[in-house]
Amino acid sequence: MNLYDLGHVPWLDSQLLYHAMPRLGMEGLLILAPAEPYVCIGYHQDAEQEVDLAYCRAEGIPVFRREVGGGAVYLDGQQLFYQLVIHKDNPLAPADKGEFYRRFLAPVVQTYRDLGVQVRYRPVNDIVTAEGRKISGNGAADMGDYAVLVGNLIADFDYETMTRVLRVPDAKFRDKVFKSLRQNVTTLQRELGQAPEWRDMVSALVPNFEVALGPLTPAALPQVVYERASELAESHATQEWLLKPGQRFRDGRRVRIAEGVDVVERRHKAAGGLIRAIVEVRDGRIESVAFSGDFFFYPADKLAALGRSLSGLELNAARRAIADFYREYQIDSPGVTPRDLAVAIGTADAYPSSR
Amino acid sequence: MVDIDGYAFPEELLYDRNHNWARIEGDTATVGLSDFGQALAGEIVFAELPRLGRQIEAGEPFMSLESGKWVGRIKAIVSGKIVAANEDLEWESTLINSDPYGRGWFVKVELSGEPQGLMRATDPEFAAFIAAEREKHGI
Repeated sequence: MNLYDLGHVPWLDSQLLYHAMPRLGMEGLLILAPAEPYVCIGYHQDAEQEVDLAYCRAEGIPVFRREVGGGAVYLDGQQLFYQLVIHKDNPLAPADKGEFYRRFLAPVVQTYRDLGVQVRYRPVNDIVTAEGRKISGNGAADMGDYAVLVGNLIADFDYETMTRVLRVPDAKFRDKVFKSLRQNVTTLQRELGQAPEWRDMVSALVPNFEVALGPLTPAALPQVVYERASELAESHATQEWLLKPGQRFRDGRRVRIAEGVDVVERRHKAAGGLIRAIVEVRDGRIESVAFSGDFFFYPADKLAALGRSLSGLELNAARRAIADFYREYQIDSPGVTPRDLAVAIGTADAYPSSR
Repeated sequence: MVDIDGYAFPEELLYDRNHNWARIEGDTATVGLSDFGQALAGEIVFAELPRLGRQIEAGEPFMSLESGKWVGRIKAIVSGKIVAANEDLEWESTLINSDPYGRGWFVKVELSGEPQGLMRATDPEFAAFIAAEREKHGI
């Protein structure tokens, strides 16, 4: 298989080249980074709902919809991208999606270890540190008869801009997303104290991919790929493509921080007023809850304490804990019941059918 | 219902080699993903359905699913015009996993011709096909 080590390329090429290769019947491993930062959303996402498009426009940050799954991400030259395009009939390509990820993320896991960070593969497509922090983002797609895997080595990450480009309800939610990102997503810079040089990352990555793919032959990317990418830009770099309707939020704004970690804003109209909850959930358990809204709650200082008391509980079993808190602290909240607060955070036991 | 290695396949349906099923009623086919197909896909987090009125061709991609940050294209099992799409999937795409032959259906297609090359679960070649697929996918 050919290796196309392209270094930093124009941001649009960093997406369109791997979209072009399967359309040309070409396998290969691309290694590259965008020369300019941009925002990239998943194939099924809704750009207007996910991204603050006005901010991006004002700041000159392009936004692109890829044909690969996953969520909105801010990509820049501090991330090294590997993009594998492999025919589905290639005997090296497992038909099973889980096995596919496992096989082709093994080189990435080994690369992080070679660079000095102890990481492990977490099914189905995550690479996490010993502390469970995500350190690589990965997604895949079927493109014709080819399977495409894209992912990154994160040398450093601009958490602030990542958080800023998302469309969120308000500053409080944005702050929660920022803190959760800092807590749950890490980088080589943070783990090692300094980011490795590009060349060191490539030198580690290529032999590890050769273990999975066999010998890789360094090659210049054929001109025809650039030409096909230019043609694709006519459809994929348009507003029509970007603004294609996508998956809508069902129960409030949700930002996926990492696999199993979400920050969600939910609103519930109770008889006593509107309750708003910002909930951070990790693997089905509540990490934090912040209630606000326009309802009365006495003693007032106990509202924040109620949120804190729910940390660590199973999300779907929080209603009883809220009721217990009400009893223990003799909470008075006219027109707002423990069940209303449970509904606001989205716990399943708030609903009669789930009892 | 035919049980092949723990996967359920209703006898009255037709199947293709992409793990789709079709229920033919007159000149309309209801189509979806088989029990085996949903097991291969894993938990489906989103289904992008085609617009009504679109013409589709058997063997050509016409919609997509996402599971595990993997976007998979679904190839049509029959040719014709989309006359209905399962709107429940917009909010509950896991119906494809939990009820693949019932509430997890994809679309209804007004057939433009007789479906070709499809199998029944009772056909001997079908069990052999599933066995080969299990080996290929390691499940």
